[in-house]
Amino acid sequence: MAFVELRNVFKSYFLHGKRIDVLRDVSLDVEEGELVSLVGASGAGKSTFLHVVGTLDAPAAGHMTFRGRSVFDMNDAELAEFRNRTIGFVFQSHFLLPEFTALENVAMPALVRREDRAQAFRDARALLERMGLAHRADHRPGELSGGESQRVALARALVLRPALLLADEPTGNLDPATGEGIHQLLREVNRELGVTAIVVTHNESLARSMPRRLRLEAGHVFPA
Amino acid sequence: MRSAERQTDYRLGPLWVGGTLAGVGALLLGWALTVLGAWGPASVGLALSAFGFGPLLQALQGLGLLPLVRAMGETTAASPGALLWAGAGLWLLGWGVVAAGIRHRPREEAPSPAQGAPLHGRLQAERDFSWATLLTYGGGILAAELTVVLLQTALSAGVRLTEAAERSGPFSLPPAGAFLVALLAGMGVAFLAGALGAARARRLAAPEATLGILYLGLPLPIFFTLLHAIPSLSITFGPRLREVTYVAGLLGRPELGYWLVFTGLVLTLVLGITVGFVLAGSGRVDARMGYELFVARRHLEVFRPRFLLKLLGVLLLGILPPIVLFAVVRAAQAAVERTRIRMLGLQDPLKAAEALHRLKAKEQSPTQTMTTLSVGGVGVGVMALIIVMSVMSGFEGDLQDKILGINAHAVVYSYEGEIEPYEGVLGDIRKVPGVAAATPFIMNEVMVASEGNVSGAIIKGVDPATVTTVTSLDRDIVPRDAIQHLAHPEEILHRGDALGGAVAGPEAAGEGHGLPESLQDDPIIELPRGEAPGAAAPLPGILLGSELAHSLKVVVGDRVSVVSPLAGGLGPQGPIPRSAAFRVAGVFHTGMYEYDSKFVYILLQEAQRFFNVKGALGVELKVDDVDDARRISRRVLTALEGYPYRVKDWGEMNQNLFAALRLEKLVMAIILSIISIVAAGLIVATVTMLVLEKRKEISVLKALGVPDGGILKIFLAEGLQIGVAGGALGLGAGLAWCWFIAKVGIKLDPEVYYIPSLPVRIEWGQTALAVVIAVLVSFFASIYPALKASRVEPVEGLKAE
Ligand SMILES: Nc1ncnc2c1ncn2[C@@H]1O[C@H](COP(=O)(O)OP(=O)(O)OP(=O)(O)O)[C@@H](O)[C@H]1O
Ligand SMILES: [Mg+2]
Repeated sequence: MAFVELRNVFKSYFLHGKRIDVLRDVSLDVEEGELVSLVGASGAGKSTFLHVVGTLDAPAAGHMTFRGRSVFDMNDAELAEFRNRTIGFVFQSHFLLPEFTALENVAMPALVRREDRAQAFRDARALLERMGLAHRADHRPGELSGGESQRVALARALVLRPALLLADEPTGNLDPATGEGIHQLLREVNRELGVTAIVVTHNESLARSMPRRLRLEAGHVFPA
Repeated sequence: MRSAERQTDYRLGPLWVGGTLAGVGALLLGWALTVLGAWGPASVGLALSAFGFGPLLQALQGLGLLPLVRAMGETTAASPGALLWAGAGLWLLGWGVVAAGIRHRPREEAPSPAQGAPLHGRLQAERDFSWATLLTYGGGILAAELTVVLLQTALSAGVRLTEAAERSGPFSLPPAGAFLVALLAGMGVAFLAGALGAARARRLAAPEATLGILYLGLPLPIFFTLLHAIPSLSITFGPRLREVTYVAGLLGRPELGYWLVFTGLVLTLVLGITVGFVLAGSGRVDARMGYELFVARRHLEVFRPRFLLKLLGVLLLGILPPIVLFAVVRAAQAAVERTRIRMLGLQDPLKAAEALHRLKAKEQSPTQTMTTLSVGGVGVGVMALIIVMSVMSGFEGDLQDKILGINAHAVVYSYEGEIEPYEGVLGDIRKVPGVAAATPFIMNEVMVASEGNVSGAIIKGVDPATVTTVTSLDRDIVPRDAIQHLAHPEEILHRGDALGGAVAGPEAAGEGHGLPESLQDDPIIELPRGEAPGAAAPLPGILLGSELAHSLKVVVGDRVSVVSPLAGGLGPQGPIPRSAAFRVAGVFHTGMYEYDSKFVYILLQEAQRFFNVKGALGVELKVDDVDDARRISRRVLTALEGYPYRVKDWGEMNQNLFAALRLEKLVMAIILSIISIVAAGLIVATVTMLVLEKRKEISVLKALGVPDGGILKIFLAEGLQIGVAGGALGLGAGLAWCWFIAKVGIKLDPEVYYIPSLPVRIEWGQTALAVVIAVLVSFFASIYPALKASRVEPVEGLKAE
């Protein structure tokens, strides 16, 4: 049994009485420790796919298991815990909490897990240091640059050592050098911590540098 | 309900037939009700049917009308009853036919690509409606109502006015006390039912709650309301439910009482439901408030000292003036600041930009303004409630003090008129535990005449040795030891001395000195100075109230005569009046016009002689605990072995007065609660705005692993913060105002009020209640928006950008 198993996942949107089938019968296996890139045209449904895998959006039909456990059957509390303990999500735009400093944002998942407060802040600070952001720890998101925000978001996704990292174009609006830095970071995390990751990207060269490559097209996922 | 998935077919035939039948039924019902003149009681049932939706529920409503129909039918001739039956039947039948005429069928469409794939697990697990939850909620509210009714009946000992029927069991409480116990127990039941139902169902189950309250909760209050409208009902059930109707009637109209209690129970049920859902709705109990408070505090920074101090200032300085002042200062400041920045910009644009940035940062967002408004609103409500309740308590307390000061706490009478000899009775009474003092008295109505005037009065013969142990007649009397002078008339000051003595006394008594010249020639006061006043037999002393002394135009040392039209006994030409002369020994002032203008006191022995009585006409008592006077009076009666004695306590003697005061206080509280309702509306708006503003953050938090319960707790905490901050502000401001009123005083028009300044008495119980209610109101107000927040799907907020 694979680490993550998706079977027959359907997802459609409804707009003005019309149905847009974004995912049609997607099935996919991801093994533990894999680093997977996902490419596809804009509007192909990559974000939708990640949201479904990250249990942020409910599909119309389908089945997903994580380490053999059926994910879509979980109730609200179990899902929340699953998101907190298992998934690390980096959104297409950073989505940091605006009222909280970078440090507090990074510590938030640990606080939600009700870990010891002091310990949570210590871990968060250490991680920010590793990302080279120690001097921005007390900035609020509005006072950070795009690249810094994206790195803080990555730190937030990684702070609880998730088993599965889902990154939605983490380098989307960054300059190539900074983008490469972030991809470097992802590869490091994958290698050193053994975090399984699915990374959506538009950058073909970056995508090619990943061990496993997928393409989303016409509602289906193909190896690319 | 979802029209997209199904189509609705209306078959016109059955619809027409059913509609006509129901219409005819309604006409018949209406006609019958008119004939019976029963629109009043029936309107409750009809109003209820407005809540019903769908033919089935309409049918249930029709069934619900039937008992009413029966009750009405019994009272009059058979024909309108039959009409009612026919009308109700047709009404039911018509709706049934209408229901049969409506058909739903699924919409026809091409199959989707997902046809046949397994349904998403969470959708599969979703439960739509649970009868068990409906029964828990509905049964809970019904059980709570029954608890209140039964406990009140079982515990209260208040209505049985005949002593013989008084319950002697250990669980007999005064009606208000019993009501408190019963209400608390009922609220406990409602809370538990709500919490259990929500915890079991793992959701709030609003449809179940609504239906449960409507169909199981409403009947009892409706029944009680009807109890007063339908004679046959009140004859059957009235006596058994006497305790309940009595307590409800304390508010004036019993219906008000029923519905207030019902509302309270429903609110507690809702509270229980939310608490149960928050704690265990997601499968496990989690009452921890870690990150929830962290987030809530950051969203709404209401506990900043400067913010609170500013609001407190606004409340303390009378709300409007400081706001106007603040607005003026702010506007002036902004104008000055912008001018300064422009000047600065001419020299150093960068510095100007920085200053502008700081100015922008100071501006409030709409949510902050709303937060300020709602904290202020709650604060104003609590403050007003505390001030008004304290002033009303002050009035009540003042009145009680005065009534209790001049009256005894309880009076023992004899059905035989005289208590003779009274010494034994006095001894028996003083031995009763709880009785602090007792004094005999004789009371009668007389005329008091002075040189220039005459006035009706109530004369009281008292025992100077003990009278001050029971009443505080000596609290404000001129001269100080006037009461002792009753027993020693030779010591009564004569006019010349009295002047000197009274000048130092309070103004009220002193007013008597502004005498017209002519009166100074009073022959009595022209007695030569120095002559021993009691050389002959001195005149017995009398004490007058200040108002009476004023209207009789007499002062201490003057002579008055007391005339009783009946005291002389029956002569050949009817009753013979008797009169006797007294010398004013003192003037007292109680502050109650009725007493100061009506009461006069003489020595008990003088009264015995004057009215030809051997003993006393009654014994006045003082008890240790004023509020326990009723129980102690009963004990006194037992000690005296009942007949011919009877005991009245102060509450009984002034029942109407205090009932009116209580009602007035309740009405004020209800009116002021409207402020709280406005504040609650503000809180709903504020928290809703917050939820809208924070949709994205809610989604992100959910993505980080915050469960629905956590989001709910965050926004409930935000509402609670508003309530706590507002309550604390209101408490501070209210107490400060009360302190100000008590210390500095607000003068009252002496022509209207008999108190020189506004009295305040802070009752800690009701003050705490005002704050607790404010906090609860904020909590309730934030439930709905918080629920909305918890339902935000994670992906909704993420897509919003
Ligand atoms: N709430 C919605 N309602 C209707 N259509 C939607 C909704 N959300 C997304 N879509 C549509 O679904 C498709 C897939 O959207 P999605 O965001 O997954 O694309 P994407 O592959 O992530 O694109 P990009 O690379 O530009 O981020 C798009 O065509 C979009 O228009
Ligand atoms: Mg996308």
